[in-house]
Amino acid sequence: MAMATPPLRPTSLRNLNLLLRTAPRFVQNQFRAQSTTSSKSSVNPTEVSHFNALASTWWDPQGSSRLLHLMNPLRHDFIRSCHAAQARPPPTSGLRYLDIGCGGGIFAESAARLSSTGLVTAIDPSPEVLAVAKMHARRDPRLSGKLTYLNTSIEGLSKPKSAEEQYDILSLFEVIEHITHPAEFLDVCKDFVKPGGWIVMSTIARTWMSWFTTKLVAEDIVGIVPRGTHDWEQYVNEQELRAYFLEGRGWNSPRVMGVIYVPGLGWKEVSGSENVGNYFFAIRKDE
Amino acid sequence: MKPLASSLRARQLSGYTCSSCTRQLRRQRRNYGTSSPRSPEVFDVVCVGGGPAGLSLLAALRANPITSFLKIALIESQSLTPLRSYAPSPTAYSNRCSSLTPNSVRFLKDIGAWEHVRAERVQGYGRMRIWDGVSGASIGFESESSGDGEEGVVAYMNENLNLTSALVKRVDGLGGVEVLDEQKVQDIKLGEDTEEGDFSSWPVVRTSEGKEVAARLLVGADGANSPVRTFSGIESRGWDYGRVGVVATLKMEGSGWGGEGAKIAYQRFLPTGPVACLPLPGDFSTLVWSTTPELANRLKGMSQGNFVSMVNAAFRLSPVDLSYLHDLKGGQADEVAWRVQHTPFEPEQVPMKVTSVQEGTIASFPLKLRHADTYIGERIALVGDAAHTTHPLAGQGLNQGQGDVESLARSITYSIEHGMDIGTRMSLESYNSERCTSYGAA
Ligand SMILES: Cc1cc2nc3c(=O)[nH]c(=O)nc-3n(C[C@H](O)[C@H](O)[C@H](O)COP(=O)(O)OP(=O)(O)OC[C@H]3O[C@@H](n4cnc5c(N)ncnc54)[C@H](O)[C@@H]3O)c2cc1C
Repeated sequence: MAMATPPLRPTSLRNLNLLLRTAPRFVQNQFRAQSTTSSKSSVNPTEVSHFNALASTWWDPQGSSRLLHLMNPLRHDFIRSCHAAQARPPPTSGLRYLDIGCGGGIFAESAARLSSTGLVTAIDPSPEVLAVAKMHARRDPRLSGKLTYLNTSIEGLSKPKSAEEQYDILSLFEVIEHITHPAEFLDVCKDFVKPGGWIVMSTIARTWMSWFTTKLVAEDIVGIVPRGTHDWEQYVNEQELRAYFLEGRGWNSPRVMGVIYVPGLGWKEVSGSENVGNYFFAIRKDE
Repeated sequence: MKPLASSLRARQLSGYTCSSCTRQLRRQRRNYGTSSPRSPEVFDVVCVGGGPAGLSLLAALRANPITSFLKIALIESQSLTPLRSYAPSPTAYSNRCSSLTPNSVRFLKDIGAWEHVRAERVQGYGRMRIWDGVSGASIGFESESSGDGEEGVVAYMNENLNLTSALVKRVDGLGGVEVLDEQKVQDIKLGEDTEEGDFSSWPVVRTSEGKEVAARLLVGADGANSPVRTFSGIESRGWDYGRVGVVATLKMEGSGWGGEGAKIAYQRFLPTGPVACLPLPGDFSTLVWSTTPELANRLKGMSQGNFVSMVNAAFRLSPVDLSYLHDLKGGQADEVAWRVQHTPFEPEQVPMKVTSVQEGTIASFPLKLRHADTYIGERIALVGDAAHTTHPLAGQGLNQGQGDVESLARSITYSIEHGMDIGTRMSLESYNSERCTSYGAA
C-alpha cells in the first residue's frame, strides 16, 4: 500500500481517542444493559457530547479517523485472503455483510461498493453516529439500495430465519476489545452467520508487547493514539479467541493477520505482528 | 450523441452509479421537459480533454476489466472525427511530434492502443548526439546499447496525431464512453443536495451545448490552461522561459549517417537555446529549435530556402556566425553556403544536410515551465499538461502525461478493489504522492 501519510493534526488526537473508544463503549453499554438489565446501562453523557464533536470529523480523512481510513483497504485484503483459503471459492456476487458497530460507516460503505456484494446491513447502537453514517452515504448515490443502516445493537436485530437471511461476512472491527464479555457476545453473533460464512474482526492483542506498543509507543511517543484510549486488560488475546471458537463450537479455519502502523508508510501487514499490535482475526462457521 | 453512445443505455444502468437514481433523474427530466433546469447526468469519471493524456486514460479504464464498468464521459472542444478518419500521406509528416520513451510505448501496448499506431510512421532511434555549440564539447549520450526499448531504442519519434488517432480507435473499439466532442467546458460548479443524493461535493460540468454532467471524479486532461485546474483553485507555478519553440518538418539529403536501421537524434546547445533534429522515417526529420521570440519571428518570415540554410547553419556554424546571419535582411542561403565551406566540422557528427522544408510546417509555440501545487482535489485529478508543462526538448511533456495516466488508472483500480469512492481525496492520495511529489523531487 503506497499511501501518503501526512502528520495528524494535533487537534484531532482527542477525536481519535473518542473514535477508537466511544463507539464500542456504546456497544458495550448496550450489551450490558440488555444482558443484565442493570442500572449500569446509563451512557456517559460526556461521551455523547464528545461523539457529536467526533461526528463532523469522522469522514475527514485528514482528521482523527485517518488511521481507520488508511486501515480500511487492509480489511478487504484480509477478507479476500479468507475467501481465497476456501476449498470452494465463494460466489462472485450477492455476498451479504453484517457490520456490527459500524460507526460512521467507513467499512460498511466500502463493502457495499464492491461488485461482489449483494447487500450490507450495518448497525450501531448510537443514533448520533448512525446519523453521520446515513448522511455521508447520501454522497454516493450508488450505495442506496445496497447499504442499510439500523440503529440497534445485535441483540435488537431479529434473528435470521433461514440460511438466505444469514450473512456471508459478519464484521466486528475495533469492537471486540471494548466488550466486557466477549464469549457471550460472540455466541449472539453466531446465529447471524451462514454455514461456511466468516466472522471477521480486528482488535489489539493482549500481550505485554501490545501494551508496550499501544500504550507507550503509540500514545506517548508517536502521539497518534492519545493516552488512556484502550483499557488493555480488555484486549482479546488471539489464543483466547482461537480456544473459544475451536472448542467444538462449530467453527474452523482460524486465520490471523498482524498489521502495524508505520508512521510515514501506513498500515503494513507484518507476519508475526499479531502478538505485537493490531491484528485481524477470522473464523469460519462449519458448513 | 456520438457513435460510442449507442451501447451506453444498458451500461448506464449497470454502472457504478446506482440505477434507481439514474432512472429517477431520467424520469424527472421527462416530466419537466426542456425548459426547466435539468438534473445533471451522473458519471463516475468525466474527463475534460481528449489529447494524448485524456484519451490514454479512457483507453486504460475501458481496457481493464476492474474499471470497465465505470460510467465515463469525455468532453473535448475539438471534433474527434478527423482522428477517426486519419489517413496521412506517406510523403508528409505533421510538425507536432513527440518522442515516446520505451516505457510510454510499453504502457500504450498494455492498454491495447499501440497496435493502432501506424508503425510505418514511427521512428525509433538508439543514439543521441548532444554537443555544446560554444565550446564544441560533446555532452551527448551515444547510448547505442543503453536504450531499454527494443533493440536498444532510446525513444520513438511519433506524430501526436498518429498517437491520438490510435487512441481514439482503441477507445471506439472498447466502446462505452459518452463522447461529448465539439463542446467546450462552459462552467464547473458543485452540485446540490437533492432527493436523489447529496451531490454537494460533486463537480457538475456544463458544456457549450448545454449538457450537464455530474462527476464522481473529474479528470482535468485539458492542457496547460486547464479549466478544471482553475475550478479546483489549484495553483500552478513556474515561469516562461522567454523562449519559443520553432518546429518544422524537414526533408534531408538521405536517411541518415547510420542508415535506416540506425537513426540518430541531434541536439546542439546554442546561446539562445537548444536546437534539435529528430529522425522520422525515410529522409524526414522534425525540427525543434528553441530560441527568442524575436529570432523565431525572423526565421518564420524567411523564404523556405533561407530557412533551410539557417537550420543547416544552426548545426554547423559558430554562434557568432549565426547571430550575423539572423541579422541579415536576406540572402542567408548564399552566405551560409560560403561560410560552411570555411568552417571546420566533421560532417558525420552533425545531421545530414536539410534539402527542403515541408510546406506549411514552420510554426512556433511558447515554452513554459509550469507545475501544479497538487495534482488532486476532492473529486479532482489533473493529468498531463494540466498538471505540468516542461520544455519539450526534455522530451518529457507527453511521456510524463502517460506516466500520470498509468498511475491514476492504478489508483482508481486499487480504490475499486477496496470499495473506496474513486473520487475522494483519500482514494487519490496515492496518485498524488506517486506523481506530484516525485516530480517535485526530480
Ligand atoms: C506546438 C507544440 C509542439 C510541441 N512539441 C512537443 C515535442 O516535440 N515533444 C514533446 O514531448 N512535447 C511537445 N509538446 C507538448 C505536448 O504536445 C504536450 O505535452 C501534450 O500534448 C500534452 O498532452 P495533454 O493530453 O496533457 O494535453 P493537450 O494535448 O494540450 O490536450 C488538451 C485537450 O483539452 C482540450 N481542451 C482544453 N480546454 C478545453 C475546454 N475548455 N473544453 C473542452 N476541451 C478542452 C483541448 O482541445 C485538447 O484536445 C508540444 C506542444 C505544442 C503546443
